[in-house]
Amino acid sequence: MYNSLTRIQNVFGFFTSVAFVVAAIIAASDLIAPRTPSGMIEPTSVQVVKGRPHYYSTKKEEYAIIKFSLEADLSSLFTWNTKQVFVYVTAEWPSLGADGAVTQNNSAVIWDNIITSPSADHLSNMPPVALRRLIESTAGRVIDPGRGKFQLFNHKPKYQITHPSGHIAESSDVKLRLHYNVQPWVGALTWDQQGVDLGLWKRLSDGVSEAFALPPVKRKDDAKTSSSKAKTKTKSKAT
Amino acid sequence: MLSSLQNPRQAAAQLLNFALILSTAFMMWKGLSVIADSPSPIVVVLSGSMEPAFQRGDLLFLWNRNLLAETSVGEVVVYNVRGKDIPIVHRVVRKFGEGDAARLLTKGDNNAADDTELYARGQDYLARRDIIGSVVGYVPFVGYVTIMLSEHPWLKTVMLGIMGLLVVLQRE
Repeated sequence: MYNSLTRIQNVFGFFTSVAFVVAAIIAASDLIAPRTPSGMIEPTSVQVVKGRPHYYSTKKEEYAIIKFSLEADLSSLFTWNTKQVFVYVTAEWPSLGADGAVTQNNSAVIWDNIITSPSADHLSNMPPVALRRLIESTAGRVIDPGRGKFQLFNHKPKYQITHPSGHIAESSDVKLRLHYNVQPWVGALTWDQQGVDLGLWKRLSDGVSEAFALPPVKRKDDAKTSSSKAKTKTKSKAT
Repeated sequence: MLSSLQNPRQAAAQLLNFALILSTAFMMWKGLSVIADSPSPIVVVLSGSMEPAFQRGDLLFLWNRNLLAETSVGEVVVYNVRGKDIPIVHRVVRKFGEGDAARLLTKGDNNAADDTELYARGQDYLARRDIIGSVVGYVPFVGYVTIMLSEHPWLKTVMLGIMGLLVVLQRE
């Protein structure tokens, strides 16, 4: 009746059911951790240039560089089950047809950042010295109250935005919006709730900029003169 | 093995039991596939391009229906490049347009550049139909067994050998 195979099967079966129940409890514990995220975002300078947005771009197209200021407090998203929070800023704008009606809506990420929880610091992809400093900064703590709080002033975007049509200059009604994605150690992935409160999880307060318009394309000779000016300035400083 | 040969009734029961386990697993997989509307509702992460969120061997649960909202920027999706049969897990970073006409661009969180180079020749954007699901659930590490088995085929032989040995050596 009891041979070694059934014994191994029983032990393995018991182990998997215990692991499943523990994982389910951990995943469910997210629901009883309150979330009160907040963020303020506004564009500070906007530029549209015609050129190659990447080194591997095959054609010249218009791309927009939107610098922004961001003040956010996402520290309540970090619980014992949080592995990382992926924070990202999108620009949203409508494309208009010839008659001025909205033909399609567009959205693109202009900046993102991965904030690891102290329990996942060792997994992050950064230079060894910075990584060691990050791990030492939270030695022995499960939750670091400083994680998820940041202030950026006139920050450069990570990604310039384009449009498949090649035209993006003078787009109107552009909005910047702050988003986040909470990655758990086990369980469901969750995003910002887009204006809805779900139980203890409050919506992201504010988190969207006022609508603005993109400027016309910056002419090449403008750029040249301004950059040459900057060069002469630095030269004069050096001398 | 030898003992069960002497008792054909018991051997038949064991065989049926084994078939039941296999068919139950298959039915659950296909049922999940119907519910999630995805040809592959559970996938194993094969690369580190989404680190630190997903490591190799992590298990992802996919959902491929747009009941409440469209697939939008920020979601982590699994897609197949046209003409290739390798599912890729990356995040949507750009979306132009809506519905079936939407053009989507993806990027791995751990990659410096977006996925334009991964797409098929002449394909600049993904369409909604290229996507086989958005990631909704996550279980770490459990899928590592499948990576081990596919990368080290001799492990399969070893596992079968151990199981066979146990069957032969066991006593009733």
